[in-house]
Amino acid sequence: MQKRSPLGTFGIYATVIFTCAALLFPIYWMILTALSPRTRLREYPPRFWPDDPQWGVFADLLATQPFALWMWNTILVAVATMILSLTVGVLAAYALSRHRLRGGQGLGLFILTSKMLPATLLVIPLFAIFKSLGLVGSLWSVVIAQATLIVPFATWMLKGYFDTIPPELEHAALVDGCSPLGALVRVVLPVAAPGLAATALYAFVISWSDFLYARTFLTTSESKWTLNVGIATLKGEFVTDWNTIMAASLMAAVPIIGVYLFLERYLVGGLSSGSDK
Amino acid sequence: MIDFSSPRHRAKFGYLLLAPAVLMMALIIIYPILLSVDISLQDVRIARVGGDREPWTLENYDWLVRSGEFWNAVWVTAKMVLTVGGISLAIGLATALLVNQKFRGRALARLFVALPWAVPEVVATVIWAWMLDSSFGVVNWALLKVGLIGAPIQFASNATAAFFAVCFVMIWKGYPLVSIMLLAGLQSIPEEQYQAARVDGANVWQRFLFITLPSLAPVIGVTAVMTTLWVFRDFAIIYVLTQGGPIGSTTTLSILTFEQSFSFFRMGQGAAVGVVTLVICAFISRALVGRFANSVH
Repeated sequence: MQKRSPLGTFGIYATVIFTCAALLFPIYWMILTALSPRTRLREYPPRFWPDDPQWGVFADLLATQPFALWMWNTILVAVATMILSLTVGVLAAYALSRHRLRGGQGLGLFILTSKMLPATLLVIPLFAIFKSLGLVGSLWSVVIAQATLIVPFATWMLKGYFDTIPPELEHAALVDGCSPLGALVRVVLPVAAPGLAATALYAFVISWSDFLYARTFLTTSESKWTLNVGIATLKGEFVTDWNTIMAASLMAAVPIIGVYLFLERYLVGGLSSGSDK
Repeated sequence: MIDFSSPRHRAKFGYLLLAPAVLMMALIIIYPILLSVDISLQDVRIARVGGDREPWTLENYDWLVRSGEFWNAVWVTAKMVLTVGGISLAIGLATALLVNQKFRGRALARLFVALPWAVPEVVATVIWAWMLDSSFGVVNWALLKVGLIGAPIQFASNATAAFFAVCFVMIWKGYPLVSIMLLAGLQSIPEEQYQAARVDGANVWQRFLFITLPSLAPVIGVTAVMTTLWVFRDFAIIYVLTQGGPIGSTTTLSILTFEQSFSFFRMGQGAAVGVVTLVICAFISRALVGRFANSVH
């Protein structure tokens, strides 16, 4: 590798900084607006630096909107979806990875194609089914609907991780008298822990971002709204209170950004696992 | 009690592990899809399971072919796929190439460059709605300041502007995935190829054209299909930003499906649009699945 000239180094850093600044400006703008005094939002020219940050906006949000409830509902849905899809996904992925099953290939393809289903089509029959089961307005409806996307995804991602673990590990455990299920739980899962964590977090992210299912199944029962439904409604109702909306958006985005910072190094494997593996 | 550790029953154990997933997929994916085809063949406003059912009819598909709404949605979707796909691919490739350079702090740059991936769609849309606000938005302020426009652009009421507003948000949400996948592709190109080309006197541009692009082609193909399907499926961005308006300028097939079903409560017609969308998506994803099958065997 040839050494870069000082000018080249400067060029690289200038380009990187400029690119990041341009691409991340909306995130900065969200934070800035959230902290701006309400009266400043209608001033020209806009201010690009928070010289008078209003931290009270978050307390305001909790006091005037059922924000805590939205957050709680979103967490409940995300955790339930995560547990459900991980449980089902681990078993299926392990079977697909270790056993040569008839129809295993076909199932793999099915899992893959399920990613391509238009969700707005699926939501119609699901609505009819949930209506007859009395699930409309319950958080479970959203959990089940999200599983249509997340279970196949988690299965495929986990299969990728299981494929990297040598089968000799369980064989040794089986020889020592461990049951097949015991071998999976006590030997394979601990080794696959990073993969499990990545898949769980990924499921969490997908669930957290859902809007369609929550919007369709939960709109009529306000006590069950998730963050995304709440924020979308705020945008429709209080068009002028942009600082409140941005504060809510910021709090909704922070957990996912946190997960992303942790997950980034696993992301490439996970995102591409459904496509070219 | 079957001893699952004996070789004879190993396969049974496999099927047992698979059973919950298969059962679940059958219940929440396959059955609903069949049900949606069934709904699309009935003249129903609000679909139900069980009870009285309408006789099968092709009325909804007849409506679909004759109505301008459907063809408008096809046209809008196609335009959006090309705009969003093209620009996301360009930004994704540019950013991937940039953070694939060797420099200190590269790990941090990689983290930042794909950060919009972590912003939930509704949040991203709300941020852009505020930035594109026609009276106090920062985008209009900047464009006026630079002198590119004489009067603020009405992103909410102007059909063309609304279409591009949706595209902006989609590109901003869509390019990070492209960038992440292409970066992975770039990293798998062996350094020796570049060294050999350099020895042969190839310049930067030639190395990009004859090594980087051909090696990336499969990844670019997969990414393009994924982005296309994502634009087809997307609901949150368009619905929160424009609700498909004004005058249908941002009504994609996905939005039309939802609008017919849950705004106008014509689930028969909505399902018909959805089924046609599913068929189109299936054709598009054949490219992806075909590639997958090739790489497996």
